[in-house]
Amino acid sequence: MSGKTHQYAFFLGCIAPNRYPGIEAAAIKTSKNLGIELLPLKGASCCPAPGAFGSIDLSVWMSMAARNLVLAEQMNMDIALICNGCYKSIWEVNHKLKHHDELRDRVNEVLKEIDMEFKGTIDVRHLAEIIYDENICGVAKLADSVTTPLTGVKIAIHYGCHLLKPRKEREFDAEGVGETENPMWMEELIAALGAEPVQYRQKMQCCGAGGGVRGYDIAHALDITNEKLINMSEVGADAITEVCPFCQLQFDRGQIEIGEKFGVKWAIPVLHFNELLGLAQGMSPQDLALDLHGISCEPFLNKLQ
Amino acid sequence: MVDETQSQKPRIGVYICHCGTNIAGSIDIKELQEYTLTIPDVVVADEYQYVCSTPGQNMIEEAIKEHNLTALVVAACSPRLHEPTFRRASKEGGMNQFRFEMANIREQNSWVHMHDREGATEKAKDAVRMAVAKARLLEDLHPKSVPVEHAAMVVGAGIAGIQAALDLASSGIKTYLIEKAPTIGGRMSQLDKTFPTLDCSQCILTPKMVDVDRHENIELMTYTEVESVEGYIGNFDVTLRKKANGVLTMEQAEARGFVGGGCNGCGDCEPVCPVIKPNPFEMDMAPRKAIYIYHPQVVPLLYTIDFDSCVKCGLCEEICGDKKAIDLEMQDEFIKVKVGTAVLAVGYELFPIEKKTEWGYKRYDNVITSLEFERLICASGPTGGKVIRPSDGETPKKIGFVLCAGSRDNTGIGKPYCSRFCCMYSLKHAHQIYEKIPDAQSYLFYMDIRSFGKMYEEFYYRIQDEGAKFIRGRVAKIEEDPGTKNLYVITEDTLLGQPVNIEVDLVVLASAVQPTEETDHVRNLFGVSCSGDGWLNEAHPKLNPCGTTTAGVFLAGVCQGPKDIPDAVAQAEGAAAAASIPIHVGEVELEPYFAICNEEKCAGCGMCIDLCPYAALDLVEKEGRTVMEVTEAKCKGCGTCGGFCPGGAIWMQHFSTPQIIAQIDAFLLGGEQ
Amino acid sequence: MAKAKSYSDETLSVRLADRYYRTDDDAPDFLETVEKIGMTIPHMCYQCGTCTGSCPSAPRSSYRIRKFIRRAVLGLEDEALADPDLWLCTTCYSCTDRCPRDIAPTDVIMAMRNLAFLREIVPKNFLNTVQFIYKTGHGVPNNDVNRAARVRLGLEAEPETTAKYPDFIPGIQKILDHYGLKDKADEILAEGQ
Repeated sequence: MSGKTHQYAFFLGCIAPNRYPGIEAAAIKTSKNLGIELLPLKGASCCPAPGAFGSIDLSVWMSMAARNLVLAEQMNMDIALICNGCYKSIWEVNHKLKHHDELRDRVNEVLKEIDMEFKGTIDVRHLAEIIYDENICGVAKLADSVTTPLTGVKIAIHYGCHLLKPRKEREFDAEGVGETENPMWMEELIAALGAEPVQYRQKMQCCGAGGGVRGYDIAHALDITNEKLINMSEVGADAITEVCPFCQLQFDRGQIEIGEKFGVKWAIPVLHFNELLGLAQGMSPQDLALDLHGISCEPFLNKLQ
Repeated sequence: MVDETQSQKPRIGVYICHCGTNIAGSIDIKELQEYTLTIPDVVVADEYQYVCSTPGQNMIEEAIKEHNLTALVVAACSPRLHEPTFRRASKEGGMNQFRFEMANIREQNSWVHMHDREGATEKAKDAVRMAVAKARLLEDLHPKSVPVEHAAMVVGAGIAGIQAALDLASSGIKTYLIEKAPTIGGRMSQLDKTFPTLDCSQCILTPKMVDVDRHENIELMTYTEVESVEGYIGNFDVTLRKKANGVLTMEQAEARGFVGGGCNGCGDCEPVCPVIKPNPFEMDMAPRKAIYIYHPQVVPLLYTIDFDSCVKCGLCEEICGDKKAIDLEMQDEFIKVKVGTAVLAVGYELFPIEKKTEWGYKRYDNVITSLEFERLICASGPTGGKVIRPSDGETPKKIGFVLCAGSRDNTGIGKPYCSRFCCMYSLKHAHQIYEKIPDAQSYLFYMDIRSFGKMYEEFYYRIQDEGAKFIRGRVAKIEEDPGTKNLYVITEDTLLGQPVNIEVDLVVLASAVQPTEETDHVRNLFGVSCSGDGWLNEAHPKLNPCGTTTAGVFLAGVCQGPKDIPDAVAQAEGAAAAASIPIHVGEVELEPYFAICNEEKCAGCGMCIDLCPYAALDLVEKEGRTVMEVTEAKCKGCGTCGGFCPGGAIWMQHFSTPQIIAQIDAFLLGGEQ
Repeated sequence: MAKAKSYSDETLSVRLADRYYRTDDDAPDFLETVEKIGMTIPHMCYQCGTCTGSCPSAPRSSYRIRKFIRRAVLGLEDEALADPDLWLCTTCYSCTDRCPRDIAPTDVIMAMRNLAFLREIVPKNFLNTVQFIYKTGHGVPNNDVNRAARVRLGLEAEPETTAKYPDFIPGIQKILDHYGLKDKADEILAEGQ
């Protein structure tokens, strides 16, 4: 583990900066304490949303994602991001264009119109796996950075879908990160924060929001979310955590919507991993804008010892 | 008869085969024939529909006599098919058979250039011209006969190895049967019942095991592995490592002067041994001691000490007492034997199915493999024949069988092939549940039911009739109930088009099979190749399934590819028959492709010696000079030494430097001499 | 082929309509196009059902990913693209992760959705997303409540994206216009459902 600072161009996406800005603030501040510097990626746009946008036209999706990648190439810096959906768009398109000349040429034809060219010079990583990476931070260093451990709470981890799946189209260095059926690495991260990660049925199931389904058939999406909530509550989870703001939205707003549509009342606080990390490093709920959450985080905060 | 001297002007005959439309369809035969007649030294060029046919061969024989040919070229298929045919015809025609050269204008021409008639014909002209160039320089050669050792070796003593050894031995051949485990019997002795007859496996196997033990022509060497193999067909020098088992047989004890001593299988040693290890025969579900036998019916009945875990406390030695059967200082012994042929029957193991993490093997207590199920349901197994749930020892009432687990899998994790016998044994397992747990319900989750053999479809009918439920859907995921440890088998019933979530007490995974860890090492010792999936390569999948491309080495059983017991036994019998032929004939002819050292030119530098992959070369003293000498029988004519010799002193017969250069010149210079 | 039925009663015509799959039902090029756009190999499917077995949407709807793959192979283009279930895939990629024939069923769905869009079959919410991105560069744009919260957190009101640098938006619009996406989206929205 080196003492040097690792710099990344911070790709924000949409939902974190525009709905849960606490995630953005926490990511920047907590990363600093881990030797990771997240620098602004000027002019980035929507990744674009792989499900909502890719369903319309995959070529446009690739071109838009490539534009975001070129912005980072121009900074000569790897990208770090905090959303599974963005990971799919940004990491996967980066990978696809690097390995398929025909696709790259097609995309560059379009980018030429705005004086941009994809060169394939940078890499893309999710902040959670950067933190897990021993070469950059690692679980021990993470634990060391904790000043107010989150003891006394059970946290159910929702891994989400697009970070890990499909495994044959992902390339993670660290062992165990790429496992899609029963990964345990995020449990290590949560345990390092002092909390107790709990296992629940079908833990790898989707939240239901993706592929445009949240917009197309909200009841269908919420039914999937509801199943996850049932499984998580069965093991007494005090909070849900994830590494995808879209999943966060689905679980957070979703619980309210489930109450309205199905008459089933839920009140499990939903916090992004970076928000939890912020709390563990001494940031206050105000610093994290937890009041913007649909489901109140109070019960969780009160339970912390 | 043709004069053998090189100085005679060459008279070459060329025969072009149509091979029906195989060659004639892509190549203009007439044009090729006309061209051939323009090649110098060609005195006759003819074409025929099927030169390999009887009239075709007669045509060749006549031509040799009529035209006084010094060499013959046939432009046709691959020499791998008909070189022997035309060599024989040449011989019949009165010409030395090695004055025959074949030009492959089919596999390497017409079959791959079907849409380029012009190009194919030009290429054929080149091929014929090159063949004629070599034919001008061919000489009389004589195959060398070597005697064949009247002994055979069978490596692996599962059912295939046992059968092969019995057949070889019964035909009068001394057979060494080598087995790495302390007992023979292999996988078959781990099974409870065999499909479709539902015979008790051990009951039908043990008579053969006893036959092996008692056969006067079989030398059974258990707990022994092949250390190295040298030589060639008819004369394999095999070094065996007889691993130290720390226990003396009665003969060994007698030899040391302990009259009436040696292991009699009494088993007094086992209870006093302090070291406990898992028993691989019981799929690690039951313990064994450092001194052990796998099960009461082992052949030979001899205890073995696993020196990797033995702590040399000496308690076994003490209790063995006057029998003096324990020797804690025993070392591995190297034994050299000479055999004429060998049969590899090294079997299989299960694919490590925990790698398919979606099915939870090794994570969930109540998910087991098919071999583990066999041991549980076997009366001589760790639970006395009771199928129980590992989590709580309860009898399962709902059992899910997952077929194609790890087979037919192109994800890169599992195996792409079908493991062949799992459909049938899963049906058998369902029957065994029906028989032993009458109120239980079996579910078979399948993609297909491959009940291909004799009485197999009827067996499927029976199992369905007994009430097993068949759900056509490959299992997507298995989840575990944290409280009950029951399993939820999640898939789609594709026939209904409905997702299903079936709660069962026990899941049995019909895991894919793969070659054993040691197979790769053993096959390399014998020079046998394997395919990408690791299974050993037969010489030809259709016409030579028991042989290999290494003369004198044969294959039997699952090591050549997944198969059931009937097929393993059939192949073993075939391999034994094939392996016995050279032995009964007594001698084998080797092709005279060996290198020759021109002693006048040889400087005795010795650089070629180490290059030879077959250790066929030696430096010898001859009339005061050090020169190289070739052991002809070991030489395979690979050309490594000939290509390397800085003094040009090595002559490769039938592939000599002048011959090869003539071919190159013929190609590049377009026919100019 | 034999002469068609042609009954006068509409209801009976529909109820008794010929259900056979015949070779004319195989839309030429459908499979090829889907494979090209999706960059995957649905023709290798052996209908094992692992995909549907892994699908979160299957247990709560009539959506069957396995059937969509079958439709691709048999060329049932109309049936596939007009099926509203096409839009129930959450793109969780569990099916792709587990498919033993190494097919990406999710990408088959995405390809079909792309083709449906070309036929102007698309749910409204997707078109709204296109509009947002065209106007603001964000699928989920900033709003005042959020701006205020950002400032309270010590961040700038607008994130470092096209929100703060709207001069990057024309570039994005150029990309979308290259493919004619905005116009197409406008057109479909104007037509209604």
